[in-house]
Amino acid sequence: MKRADGSSFIIAALCVLSLCIIVVSVASGQRLLNPFSMDSQTCRTLLAIRLPRAAVALLMGGALGASGAILQGIFRNPLADPYILGISSGAALAASFGLMSGISLFTSSVPILAFIGAIATGAAVVILGHGWNGLQPERLLLAGVGIGFFLSALLMLVMSISVDDGLKRAILWMSGDLSMVDWELLPAGLILILSGLGLALTRRRGLNALTLGDDIAYSLGFNPARERLFLFIAASLMTAASVAMGGVVGFIGLVVPHVVRRHAGSDAAVVLPLSVVAGGTLLCLADAIGRTVATPLELPAGVIAALIGSPYFIFLLGQGKTH
Amino acid sequence: MAMLEFANVSFSHGPKCFMDQMSFSVSEGELLGLMGPNGSGKSTILKLAAGLLSPQRGEVLVGRQAIGSHSGRERAKLVAYLPQQLDLHAPFRVGELVRMGKYPHDGSPGLAVEDALQIVGLQRKAKTQLAELSGGELRRAYIAMTLVQGARVLLLDEPLASLDIRYQFDLYRLLKDIVREKGVSVIMSLHDIGMGAMLDRLILIRNGRIVSEGNPDEVLTDEIVRDTYGVNDFADAYLATNRSLCRALA
Repeated sequence: MKRADGSSFIIAALCVLSLCIIVVSVASGQRLLNPFSMDSQTCRTLLAIRLPRAAVALLMGGALGASGAILQGIFRNPLADPYILGISSGAALAASFGLMSGISLFTSSVPILAFIGAIATGAAVVILGHGWNGLQPERLLLAGVGIGFFLSALLMLVMSISVDDGLKRAILWMSGDLSMVDWELLPAGLILILSGLGLALTRRRGLNALTLGDDIAYSLGFNPARERLFLFIAASLMTAASVAMGGVVGFIGLVVPHVVRRHAGSDAAVVLPLSVVAGGTLLCLADAIGRTVATPLELPAGVIAALIGSPYFIFLLGQGKTH
Repeated sequence: MAMLEFANVSFSHGPKCFMDQMSFSVSEGELLGLMGPNGSGKSTILKLAAGLLSPQRGEVLVGRQAIGSHSGRERAKLVAYLPQQLDLHAPFRVGELVRMGKYPHDGSPGLAVEDALQIVGLQRKAKTQLAELSGGELRRAYIAMTLVQGARVLLLDEPLASLDIRYQFDLYRLLKDIVREKGVSVIMSLHDIGMGAMLDRLILIRNGRIVSEGNPDEVLTDEIVRDTYGVNDFADAYLATNRSLCRALA
């Protein structure tokens, strides 16, 4: 697509910045890796820990950024994010059950449980959000919030009666702690996220039209309920895969699309891929900071992402430059 | 040639009947106004014409075919609908909005984006956020989108509401130009009797039925207006002032 408003330059600049941050993120940690002097120990650390972790952070952040952009569009609500539909609550409940019942995260049981919890919750929200003339944004939103509160209450109940050390791991998981990821999670996560992103990109025009309201989307030749369903499935797939891979990371899905729109306009054809790059880069950076700033302690990437991103977002709000 | 035709159309929702066996048509290049009290069925007519609602009886024909028989894309090339409330906070720039008019088209759109912006007088605001436009400019930006869309029938639900007199006249002139130069048919609902007096043809509606139809002088007689709206006091003075003011300003 031909663009004369400078967004091509912004896309190129963001990609270069993203690449630099990924390299720095992979090299940094409790021990700084020198890419020009790799012994066997360094190679093992790089392949077994640093690279999978950076790849998962990129995928998770990218998926959350794109999901946020989709949901803000289909709900016409700037506060919508991937967790507003209760998907994270479903995933968290299922994963916490796995963690606290003693299932090791290094088998794939917990991610699979989380994914099943997320998808089941998404399906329940769609069924409840279906009105007499299709999938209605207000019904969908209310169904998501209602189911989310119910599942969160169940989660708190499970955690309050838990006594073993699985509780601490569950809390870390819900804070977006990426210290327990490995290569095994990547192929399935990559396939799901690419599928969701691909589906969303094929419906990018519908997403733009829905942002103007259902009547105008219809007037432009779209079936609003059908477009909303496809886009909801795309966002659910990406969110479920993200939560299953590394736990609950807030903030990115809410804020990254706003920042991208501020710099590159609001056309979904640009916002979706840029939200992937920006969200992935932010989470990768947050994870690198989280594991180096308080060595030997590791701080959850989700917490760091919120801590470094929120001031910038507040700054933009103060400037009146978010849209 | 009739671009859009209502043939004995009835529409009800639950126990309430919104329209009862209504028939009328709009010709190519005609500016038709729908007037009537609140709740009389003006918006229902526009939504039926757009295909957003389906009639229980009768047919809404666009290009001699029932509106429901067209695919979404084909329908969009024939009819465009703009609701009364346009989203001022949609996070788009003017150019991005107008470009969306290309969506129903695989090849050439109805009109190039730059030409549409030129016609509505927003050629210098392509990069301006919608939130930074005035009410009149926002309405014109959406109309530019429908020009790119290339729709032959433009349905506008109370486009003059909440606009000051200057923007009302700007919009009226724009619509007249589009009708005259592009041959587009425009159906708009409105309340302002003075503005109604300036349109090509008017349909006056009450309780889902046509009370009067024809050129504005035939439809907007003091007696018909008083009966349709149920007003007596000050009605004659209001009508006279409104008409003379609009004619003077036009």
